[in-house]
Amino acid sequence: MQVIDYKCPNCGSSMVFDSETGMLSCHSCGRKDDIEQFPDPLRENVFSEDEVVEYHCNSCGAIIMTESETSATVCSFCGAAVVLGDRLTGTLAPAKVIPFSISKEKAMDAFQKWCRNGRLTPNGFMTADRIKGITGLYVPFWLFELHNKIEVHGLGTKVRTYRRGDYQYTETQHFDVYRKIDLNYVQVPIDAAEKMNDELMDKLEPFPYDQLKSFKTAYLAGYIAEKYSYNDEELYPRAKEKVSAYINSSIQSAMSGYSTMSYTNKQIDTRLQHADYVLLPVWVVHYDYNKSEHTFAMNGQTGKVVGKPPISMAKVSAWFASITGASFISLKLIALMMGGGLW
Amino acid sequence: MKKRNILAILFFIAVYLAVPMEMSLASAELKTLIYDEAGLLNKEEYNELNVMANEYSAKRETDIIILTSTNDDNIDVMKMTEDFYDEKAPGYDKPNGNTVILTMDMRNRDFYLAGFYKGKEYLDEGRLNKINDKITPDLANGDYRLAFQKYIQTAYKYMGFRPGVNPDNILFNGWFQLAVSLGIGGIIVGTMAYRSGGRVTVNRQTYEDASTSGILERQDTYMRTTTTKRKIEKNNSGGSGGGGGGTTGGGHSHSGSRGSF
Repeated sequence: MQVIDYKCPNCGSSMVFDSETGMLSCHSCGRKDDIEQFPDPLRENVFSEDEVVEYHCNSCGAIIMTESETSATVCSFCGAAVVLGDRLTGTLAPAKVIPFSISKEKAMDAFQKWCRNGRLTPNGFMTADRIKGITGLYVPFWLFELHNKIEVHGLGTKVRTYRRGDYQYTETQHFDVYRKIDLNYVQVPIDAAEKMNDELMDKLEPFPYDQLKSFKTAYLAGYIAEKYSYNDEELYPRAKEKVSAYINSSIQSAMSGYSTMSYTNKQIDTRLQHADYVLLPVWVVHYDYNKSEHTFAMNGQTGKVVGKPPISMAKVSAWFASITGASFISLKLIALMMGGGLW
Repeated sequence: MKKRNILAILFFIAVYLAVPMEMSLASAELKTLIYDEAGLLNKEEYNELNVMANEYSAKRETDIIILTSTNDDNIDVMKMTEDFYDEKAPGYDKPNGNTVILTMDMRNRDFYLAGFYKGKEYLDEGRLNKINDKITPDLANGDYRLAFQKYIQTAYKYMGFRPGVNPDNILFNGWFQLAVSLGIGGIIVGTMAYRSGGRVTVNRQTYEDASTSGILERQDTYMRTTTTKRKIEKNNSGGSGGGGGGTTGGGHSHSGSRGSF
């Protein structure tokens, strides 16, 4: 039942992680502490998975209401940032974390700017004044390192055509092609949270890995964090599937230069080197529009926004009409220049 | 809002341009452009076609004429056309001026298409042959009214194109242009809608460890060469028409195409 919070040594307020400076900071007195030098209060605790545990806020004593995946949250009574230590230890201990570099205000601005740029979104949506909630969420990911040994055999042809006299000759050269390729993929991210939409999370990539830091619980202070719902073994098939598309396009480029190529034998030996459990920063925006809720996600480091915005039929028609009209007039002008009449 | 309205109006104008405009007849005086000596048309059909020929002739400044004959003297249809042009001296701009003539020899079931001056310039032998091909089936069926209507409309249409270009080029087809424009609009807007939710911006290089990845071995073994040959088809345009142009006794040169039905 380990609950970690960060009391300011100066004034006793709750300290949170500040994305601007990358330090643990106190909103009341302005004290800032370097997280790298901070001792991590995580202890090695052993809890069984289905043990019913109740967490009490260290500040006010209220029961902390959480979902079973939550590992960091804010006390709903007093607002103190709390980290649930036992959900971050043992096999649940993240190896690394990328802290937020975009603050809540900046995320809000960036999201509003993104809404304004939507060419097909309705005008009412573009003002982005109905943001229902914006949550800074550390989403659990596994970073896979996969080594692939590939051997491919194929039959390639090079085709040349030329004219001699009244005949058209087609000359086809046949080749037996062989390639042995090593393809090593590192830090391939797979989202391990059950509640996050996989497609949405895939679009959020890439995350800047140079910002990866050794995990300290203080980075989570003031944000929501989740623990993984699937372990690395369960996600290995997804990782394999993700790189197989990369592998196939690499094979294609390695065997380029032929007019046609048919593979007679393709052997791909994929080995899992290791998988790291990391927490990556995502701003989740809930937006009410036209009585339905839309969910968007923003990369907490790069500011890339993904999610399906509503589409205005009026704008779609206007774009369609103007593009069609412009193309039609251009075609008419081309016809006119070629010697045709207007009709 | 305002911009959108303008765009919508522009779109409708564009659609409107795609369809040939209906013409309203303004001029009161009608020239006789159809000389139906063989009596192939009834009164109603004759009036309708004559009005139509007048309208289109005015637009192209070229008289579009139809001459039908029972050919009692058994004269060649081409000679008949030339004599008609010399005697009647038709022409939109002046006597013996811009004219297109379709002459029907009902005795020998022959017909002849001729273009004079502007008619010759814009309706060369190639284009007259195209008209020839279009009307021959209807003439053979005995549907003279339809054949004459097609002749008037096609002669009018072809004269809208600069001499030398193929008037049947699909690029000149309004419906084709409209279809292509709709296709372009649909593809672009569809892509925009598809991309509105964000795109995947990682590729195979993003996670590849370039220092340890690469091609270790490569073999490209030549096996054999196969060669096929194909005879190049010569473009022999075999036309049913033909005949070509000539010069009338009065010294007016013309283009021409003849056919039978």
